[in-house]
Amino acid sequence: MGKIYEYKVLRVDLTNEEIKTEKISGELVKNYLGGRGLASKILYDEIDPKVDPLSPENKLIYATGLLTGTAASTGGRYMVVTKGPLTGTIASSNSGGFFGAELRFSGNDIIIFEGKASHPVYLSIMGDKVELKDASEIWGKPVYETTDLLIEAAGNKNARVSCIGPAGEKLVKFASIMNEKDRAAGRTGVGAVMGSKNLKAVVVKADEKQVEYFKDEMMKVVKKQTKILKEDGVTGEGLPALGTKVLDNIINSTGAYPTKNFQFAIFEDVDEVSGEALVEKGYLQSNTGCYGCPIRCARKTKLPNGRSGEGPEYETGWAFGADCGVNDLNAISEANFICNDLGLDTITAGATIACAMELYEKGYIDKDELENGPELKFGSSESIIYYTEKMAYREGFGDQLAEGSYRLADSKGHPELSMSVKKQELPAYDPRGVQGHGLNYVTSNRGGCHVRGYMISPEVLGVPEKLDPQELEGKPKWVMTFQDLTAIIDSIGMCLFTSFALGLDDYREIVNAGTQFEYSSESLLETGERIYNLERQFNLEAGILPEEDKLPARFDEPLPDGPQKGISTKYREILPEYYEIRGWQEDGWISEQKLKDMKIK
Amino acid sequence: MTLKVKFYSLFRINLKSAGTEYKLNSKITIAELIKKLDQDYDNYFTQKLLEEDRSISPGAIILVNGKNIIHLDKLETEITNKDTVTLFPPSAGG
Ligand code: SF4
Repeated sequence: MGKIYEYKVLRVDLTNEEIKTEKISGELVKNYLGGRGLASKILYDEIDPKVDPLSPENKLIYATGLLTGTAASTGGRYMVVTKGPLTGTIASSNSGGFFGAELRFSGNDIIIFEGKASHPVYLSIMGDKVELKDASEIWGKPVYETTDLLIEAAGNKNARVSCIGPAGEKLVKFASIMNEKDRAAGRTGVGAVMGSKNLKAVVVKADEKQVEYFKDEMMKVVKKQTKILKEDGVTGEGLPALGTKVLDNIINSTGAYPTKNFQFAIFEDVDEVSGEALVEKGYLQSNTGCYGCPIRCARKTKLPNGRSGEGPEYETGWAFGADCGVNDLNAISEANFICNDLGLDTITAGATIACAMELYEKGYIDKDELENGPELKFGSSESIIYYTEKMAYREGFGDQLAEGSYRLADSKGHPELSMSVKKQELPAYDPRGVQGHGLNYVTSNRGGCHVRGYMISPEVLGVPEKLDPQELEGKPKWVMTFQDLTAIIDSIGMCLFTSFALGLDDYREIVNAGTQFEYSSESLLETGERIYNLERQFNLEAGILPEEDKLPARFDEPLPDGPQKGISTKYREILPEYYEIRGWQEDGWISEQKLKDMKIK
Repeated sequence: MTLKVKFYSLFRINLKSAGTEYKLNSKITIAELIKKLDQDYDNYFTQKLLEEDRSISPGAIILVNGKNIIHLDKLETEITNKDTVTLFPPSAGG
């Protein structure tokens, strides 16, 4: 039996096909919790941050959170931590579903993949039996088929599969890792690292639940928190009914809904593609959820053409919809399904097509380059489907798209048309309309990203309190607190969406109950701060310099339309204060003293 | 010219309506608009948007021409015929 604060680590040397087990406990766990935090510490200690992300010297770490597999609400998550090929920063992608909990049940809390296999392999964990198996037969197969075949090969229909699709094998820079077919460790290209190692999948089925914790103490807290989550207007009512797509109309109404590669902030056809439309058009079948989740925000959809799957979520619907100027919900959902099956990050896939559309319309991409593919025009629903498939297989023009929008736009001489930070595409909120969120974009440790410090919550949604999106005062502190709190949630293996109803004290309570650790809220938040600083330090050592803490030039231009028309980004006015409250140097570097004080070095 | 009121999210789905319009004779406040809506929709909006002390419920989103009334004059924000009011229950995603 494994106590949750004594991590069992599988070290899988793919080059020599050797598997060893190790343990991590004590101070390291207290200082880094698990999941994103602990795996980032391992990566920082074990690799040179300068390695080529797609070389055998990079490592790929699967890590469950401290509370993954326990009774904690939404406690089913795992993270994949590595150096990412899209950004060159530390990459950490988080996924729900059931795979993470099953991995924890099997008694294997963290897997470190090293080197590169000589031929395609997958890791099979069936009870006590852990082995690398040949994956030649399934190499090249999409995610759905791979999942079905591996479950069949496991001989147990309850086995859980986490795998890459063709995009990961082809080293598409934003390939995802998928579990239970539709759940994604989506961003930063973790799937390409997996592909570069010739690793197709991890399959796991536990014999018995090897998760030991202070159950009685924890159950009391779980009961209380489940009640909070069920009774809250957002987590108990809004998310179950409409999922994340409730945001389309909110963000559009406030004039921060990026349209046509962020050229506009209002999408006139929003009523065609919104979460409400998904319900009204009858595409939405039911809602569903991950392990231990009382919220159940995920959507099962069925299209008029008979195809069904999960999604689209808000970000995905936006990336293929408004960002590409497409108002066809059928095509958007189809592009989403293709991403899931071929293993692509939906945000970067859609946003890269949007960038290509602007490049094409401005004459920076030749018609010849498209090799008879549909014209890359804003609004073309044909294009989003066609090029999504092409980029996953790196066929024709898809090969250029597979590099992401920054490298694409740069190769055409117009890097400024890539709406990205540190080469990762921005998600569905125009930073000019939400100034704190803009600061979060530039200081996110994995580049353009909304789930490192979701300032939309206070600045637009009024959770936990309503802040004026254009006010600058106090925002650096808010951003820092959100970033550090998120690092905690990711490290304990709960879903970020719980934070719409739960706060720091609640996370402290559940961690302490399950482990009998004695965190105060302050010391727990300091743990989040430590994780954030460690990630930043990794990036600095990797050569991602503070000069990169910036937004594309487009955001210095005023918003052209909507209720916030005329406003441009103001992050530069608050970035120095952010560095200061972080205790960083004026130039954005972290001093040796600070690293020592934070027990990072 | 009319005052446009748009319903979204659960409001739209539960009421099976995308919104309504009013032709006003003079300016009214958001508090007064909610009373008007209550008459037409069976007291639905007071219950969904306001607390017992008649303050705005946490997370409820009331926009006037895209601006949240919390940063305007709250429930005393004045509206007239050319304005658009947009209503959301507490919502989140990401
Ligand atoms: S809130 Fe949604 S994403 Fe989070 S655990 Fe529940 S179903 Fe999964």
